[in-house]
Amino acid sequence: MAVLLSLNLSDMLVVALVYKNMMRIDYMKYFVPAVVVMGLFAASLDTGRRIWLAFREGVVQYELSLPISTNGIVIAYLLAGGLAAMVYSSSLLLIAMIVLPAQAIWSVVMLLPCLFVLATGLAGISAAFAALASTRGEFFFAYQQIVQVGLLTLSTVPYPIDVVKNVFPPFLTAIVSANPLSQAADAMRKFTFAGNPIELSALLGILLSSIPFTIVGALAYSTALHRLRVKGKL
Amino acid sequence: MSKVIRLVWFDLKPQLTPPVWIVMQWVVFSIQILIYGTLISQLVIPQPPQFPPGVNFDYLKFYAVGLVVMMTFEIGSHTGRHFVEHAHEGRLPYLLSLPISRSTLFFVIALQGGAELALMLTVPLAFTMVILGNLTIISVAACVFTLFWLGFGVAGLMLGLSFIAFKSSDFYTAIVTGLSTVIIRFSTVLYPLIFLPASYAGAALLSPLTYGSDLVRLLLGFDPSILLDPRIAVAVLTALAVSTLGLGLVLMQRLVEGVKSA
Repeated sequence: MAVLLSLNLSDMLVVALVYKNMMRIDYMKYFVPAVVVMGLFAASLDTGRRIWLAFREGVVQYELSLPISTNGIVIAYLLAGGLAAMVYSSSLLLIAMIVLPAQAIWSVVMLLPCLFVLATGLAGISAAFAALASTRGEFFFAYQQIVQVGLLTLSTVPYPIDVVKNVFPPFLTAIVSANPLSQAADAMRKFTFAGNPIELSALLGILLSSIPFTIVGALAYSTALHRLRVKGKL
Repeated sequence: MSKVIRLVWFDLKPQLTPPVWIVMQWVVFSIQILIYGTLISQLVIPQPPQFPPGVNFDYLKFYAVGLVVMMTFEIGSHTGRHFVEHAHEGRLPYLLSLPISRSTLFFVIALQGGAELALMLTVPLAFTMVILGNLTIISVAACVFTLFWLGFGVAGLMLGLSFIAFKSSDFYTAIVTGLSTVIIRFSTVLYPLIFLPASYAGAALLSPLTYGSDLVRLLLGFDPSILLDPRIAVAVLTALAVSTLGLGLVLMQRLVEGVKSA
């Protein structure tokens, strides 16, 4: 987590500051809130790495021997991944509030549950790849990196939706808008840092775009564990 | 020489069957240029007031070159991590037991890193050349040589640091990741030096990537007024490559016997 923190802090304090001098918009004001969401994303993806390690090093055999159902293991991992990501992104949020004073700190309280669901959704994506790559474990990091880069570039984390609309066709713009990272980053900017009143539709958008990922991830991981329990191998 | 080539192939073969990692790097590069580079360059002011009059700033081209330099750095870093993995997986004692000298083993590691760099950079570099256009064979050849020279320097630095892993692997990972973050952010990989605040610019002048990326950009036709003096860049890259590779060679011959990765 210290390593992740150095990466995200350098984005916040170096990249954002330098880009501010180069861009048409106040990039510092635009990007700093989004770094919190980037941190949440990166920390959530660590869940997949832990699942992959558990498969690789045989720890999963021990977990399956515990008096807990397969679904219980899946839920435990996703909840743990979500909570760990929340703790990590909270520390980033505190630093972001020092760098860029927030106009409505109490909006964060409303956002936190939605960010938690987002974190479990992102952990679910990572768990799905860990389960998928379990037979060819070395490909896990390859899958994860492509998804990470894809989700971040196809979002409004680094650039506004207006820029995307000017360049991309409508279907790609729709994907960018629907991306849960875009919704979370925009919510963080509008409600916490700009001080606009909370819109329930925005919170609902984050929940609705995150829950499918949680379900898919849980199903994929549960299937892999079930196969391991029944056949003894993946 | 056949022993050297056989050992390089021994290490390289798992990465080529199948070449998932190599293709993944190409895909990630393509996504970053075609999506991120295109979109972020829409936000950049085309004629910033900090630039000399008449100098345009095409950020997509600037970013493409920076991304290639960043890839060179990451592949060079991977050479050091690869060496640590050898120690961790028990391969290092096997390599040390082979009937080759320590200096030959070091040469094999460096050559393997160079081969990996060549494979990984082929498509991204070709893609970047297409974006830039209007190039000569000499500029392309000089650019390729500079990237390899930078890559060897970074590989030497990471190989030198890899001996920390024999005390603590976690400490090594933390140091290398932190160092990589700082070296990339405090450099001209992503932005010209002119945009960095004074305190950051001082740190950027300590990063080898600043000199590598500015030299590559100069060779590929970027305006010299926004870049560092190429003579200083050549001197720094040469000093880095010679000193770090030399240090790595000495450490390989003196410290590697009987070590275990923690």
